[in-house]
Amino acid sequence: MTSFGVHDTPMQELFGEAVFAAFDDADVGPDEVEALYFGNAMGGQAENTTHLGPQVATHIGMAGKPVQRFEDACATSANAFKNAVQAVEAGIHDVVLVGGVERCTPETGKDTDEMTRIFASASNRQYEQPTGLTFPGVFALLTKRHMHEYGTTEEQLAHVAVKNHGHGALNPKAHFGKETTVEEALDGPVVADPFRLMDCCPFSDGASAVVVVSDDLADSFDDPVDVSGVGHATDVVPLADKEQVHVTQSARDASAEAYGQADITAEEIDFAEVHDCFTGAEILASEALGLVEDGQGGVAAAEGRTRRDGDIPINASGGLKAKGHPIGATGTAQIVELTEQVRGEAGDHQLDGVERGVAHNLGGDAGTTVVSVLEARP
Amino acid sequence: MSTQDDIELPETLSYHDWAAAVREDRLLGQSCEECSHVGGVPSGACQQCGSRDLTTVELPTEGTVHTETTINVPPEGFEERGYQVAVVTLGDARVMVRIEGEHVDIGDDVVLSGFIDTDEDHPAPTFETAD
Repeated sequence: MTSFGVHDTPMQELFGEAVFAAFDDADVGPDEVEALYFGNAMGGQAENTTHLGPQVATHIGMAGKPVQRFEDACATSANAFKNAVQAVEAGIHDVVLVGGVERCTPETGKDTDEMTRIFASASNRQYEQPTGLTFPGVFALLTKRHMHEYGTTEEQLAHVAVKNHGHGALNPKAHFGKETTVEEALDGPVVADPFRLMDCCPFSDGASAVVVVSDDLADSFDDPVDVSGVGHATDVVPLADKEQVHVTQSARDASAEAYGQADITAEEIDFAEVHDCFTGAEILASEALGLVEDGQGGVAAAEGRTRRDGDIPINASGGLKAKGHPIGATGTAQIVELTEQVRGEAGDHQLDGVERGVAHNLGGDAGTTVVSVLEARP
Repeated sequence: MSTQDDIELPETLSYHDWAAAVREDRLLGQSCEECSHVGGVPSGACQQCGSRDLTTVELPTEGTVHTETTINVPPEGFEERGYQVAVVTLGDARVMVRIEGEHVDIGDDVVLSGFIDTDEDHPAPTFETAD
């Protein structure tokens, strides 16, 4: 993956940087790779660029090979990953490339209000957008209900931000490399209450890519990591019609599917990368994945249970909050992080003795969630 | 002008029916004949059971706040800031609305007050405190 942050680089070049690193890591080239599963969510709106699949394939020397492009808001490249894994499992392909790219910063020429409107396009056009809803607003609505149900506090939200900024400070690829404090987080300007500036992930540019190979071929590669489960579920949109807005049901359904495939329970997971687009989203995800008890997500964050030295480390990379969130690149960036952690190659932010991790990537108001389990190959 | 009682509810609820009703200070939803789920906005099939046997229903215009937020960083096209968006419970349905007037909290009673259509003529219902 590229560093996440601000890149004055066209999307195909950004993607190329991530792909060539993945090619070199796997010691493959475009000849051996049979297909590209590609994620980009908003290039049409943000950069007037559609039909990006063959353009990026050309840049990486894969013109001629089939490319399928995925758009599922923030879950874009996790959905690409799921489809790639299924295609390889089904025997359609043996070696495929999966990745995503996005530019969301003002380098696109779009200011905050324009990009806020583009992001809001993932909510319902007729029944949500006309209220002036934004994406911080979407997750504020979910989180406010969680606070009402369980007594989750703004200070607990701030602890998530402090934790993830602390983690991001150890990750050279993170958008934000600076630690913060609860006091600083609680002093920031309100974006959509209960979220202040430090509760929100940034607009980021970046790309990520991984190579997926069949089980039969895996041992001919250096240091393969097993994908033992990928679950994918949707939920009702618009969010007012969800059965319970604070439970993120699609994450519960997707994780049950993924854990079933991997034949594990949540207690057997060593660490997680979850979709903390907002601090509240991490709290909801930690509960939906079964990593902490329902209602205890905020308490667990405040007690340090989800810190890198806690009993269930969450977002050791810094998460979307500090690592950054280039929409279409986020899903496969989580897969890169899980792979490096399981291999023991995560550098300064390496966790001790982790063998099995889970990635949680959601789209929209959790209308889509993809959950993936990766583990050391026995 | 027709009164509410004169208006025949459409057999199949479309967005255009729903939007026209919002402009007349009315809210239409759908009740499922199979599972009795009530959806707050038009859908082709029941969100709970998938049945297409849906009956258009008039939703109550008074209800309670289910969740809410105040948006201080608006999208392009919404010039003001600091407006409140809420999900309100209306009988068996929930609907996303804009709150007008004084701030409301979860559990507060609210009543339909009209609509805004500042977003390319897409109407959104507005509610205000019932106190």
